Amino acid sequence: MVTTISAPPDQLRSRRLVDLVRISATRALKVRYRGTVLGILWSFANPVLMTVIYSAIFGTAFSKYYDGSVGRYVVSAFVGLVAVTFFLSSTSESLQAIVSGGSLLNKIALPPLVFPLSIVAANVFQQAVTTFPIVFVLSIVLTHDPVRVLLVPVVLAAIVMLTAGVSIALSVLFVFFRDLPHVWNIFGFILWLTSPLFYPVALVPANLRFWYALNPVGQAIAALREVAIVRGPLDLNPIVATVFAGAVALAAGAWLYRMTRREFMDLI
Amino acid sequence: MPGAIELRGVTLVRRTQEEFHYDLKRTVFDLLRGRMRAIRRRTVLDGIDATIDHGEKIGVIGANGSGKSTILKLMAGVLEPTRGTVRTQGTIAPLIELGVGFEPELTLEENIIFYGVLLGHAEALVRASVDEILDFAELSEVRDAPTKTLSSGMGARLGFAIATQWRPDILLLDEVLAVGDERFRRKCGARLDRFWDAHSTIVVVSHDMEYIKRTCRRVIWVDHGTVRFDGESAEGVERYLKSVPSGEYVRGEELIAVASRHARGEIVVRGTSPTDQGRKVFLIREGRRHWVTSPAWYEKAGYGWDDIVHVDDTAILEVPEGDVLA
Repeated sequence: MVTTISAPPDQLRSRRLVDLVRISATRALKVRYRGTVLGILWSFANPVLMTVIYSAIFGTAFSKYYDGSVGRYVVSAFVGLVAVTFFLSSTSESLQAIVSGGSLLNKIALPPLVFPLSIVAANVFQQAVTTFPIVFVLSIVLTHDPVRVLLVPVVLAAIVMLTAGVSIALSVLFVFFRDLPHVWNIFGFILWLTSPLFYPVALVPANLRFWYALNPVGQAIAALREVAIVRGPLDLNPIVATVFAGAVALAAGAWLYRMTRREFMDLI
Repeated sequence: MPGAIELRGVTLVRRTQEEFHYDLKRTVFDLLRGRMRAIRRRTVLDGIDATIDHGEKIGVIGANGSGKSTILKLMAGVLEPTRGTVRTQGTIAPLIELGVGFEPELTLEENIIFYGVLLGHAEALVRASVDEILDFAELSEVRDAPTKTLSSGMGARLGFAIATQWRPDILLLDEVLAVGDERFRRKCGARLDRFWDAHSTIVVVSHDMEYIKRTCRRVIWVDHGTVRFDGESAEGVERYLKSVPSGEYVRGEELIAVASRHARGEIVVRGTSPTDQGRKVFLIREGRRHWVTSPAWYEKAGYGWDDIVHVDDTAILEVPEGDVLA
């Protein structure tokens, strides 16, 4: 069999990419949960704790926007936090991935893409055994709408695409700009505040709504709530917007990677 | 039938090291001031052509920074050429910077599996070989210990054991023969000899000229990113040794003065003298000259070719004679 390094067959190449992502994601998870008692249950900690805090502080005050029910506020905050914590933790962990993989990249022929993708994969796995099923159950219990229940995986997949695209782009940019973590920290905080996490969208001034709607994470939260909590006629807008944002982010990340990857090895 | 490795007009242009530090802040300011700094680049390899046949054993020699290891990295697929093509056929075992890249928190076993899969082997195959690998590396007792507890020598041993567990079609060796202590080094040598006898194609980068002459029939001498010689190894090594690498010319008392100014109070000199036949290499230490008889001595003493000072014929005679360094 002939294999050429410069141009391996596509099928072989993507097969190898999958193998590499799988083994690297396993490694990342093992490192993360080595010596922890709670292990993977830690994935619950962030969204659950934040939900408790937000509910305790804002729950009663904002309940009037949630049909007068604190319970609905709690569920709404939790679903939003699932989306945002997944997005923010995956992207900020992936940011340094290609550069951290430098010592391996300098001795074994590997596609650098493996490193950010494996971190996203590890986070997906983590949520897939913790928070994602809960969103699914919420949808069954709260909406009684088979269409919404079936759309839960679609919205989650779109959120994963969005996260993967942004993660790839960030890990590529970090190769060139080493002060990016600071910038992304601030950006993450802005994203947190400009997403309807702990307050209802109704509070946002009408003249800001247009700009507000441009936040893809805000759309993702709205979409996830639409399929997991909301009753009545289905609003497809946030769902379509999230799928669109996911596709665009993934395409943009892949494009950026393709354009710059030849330069990586000189800088890591 | 094409060769196992083919380099066609391979040119590699890389960013220079000063360009390592980038940040957004500076870039944005530069953009605002309307002057982007041009990226500085250096031609590391320039139009390298070589075909290495299946089963051939080839030595790559040359001064530090001449591009030897870079060629190996191109063959391994770690680097891609800026122009030209690199074609390889078959599985490759790159023995480059062994032991770097283990995850310190994970156990040896977990690292072996990870590393084996990265090298392109199926996970099941790697799992089945964990015992053998640990056994060869003589690390079976610490199988479940975190890898951070290993010394650097042990790490290199483990890296070597994993990379050489399966016979590759192409073996790339970058000065890795200095793995572990003397006894383990011999064990590694024995394992490599197996590949050497088999049909593996082997490319070895080394400063050990005796080793190269003994093990390779063909050498490629790389100089400033170009091939200066490609052919029979004894001739290549001789030509390489005859070429005068950059350095200073000093003599007599000055020689001893330079040596005492040197960081280690020693200096390696090279030159001819009327009584000695041909060129000889000496070490000047405490005002005495010691005759260096084997290139292997450089490796042991940690000297590189850059540490060599060139002298004219009579200079060495003016320094009293010491012992012989093998």
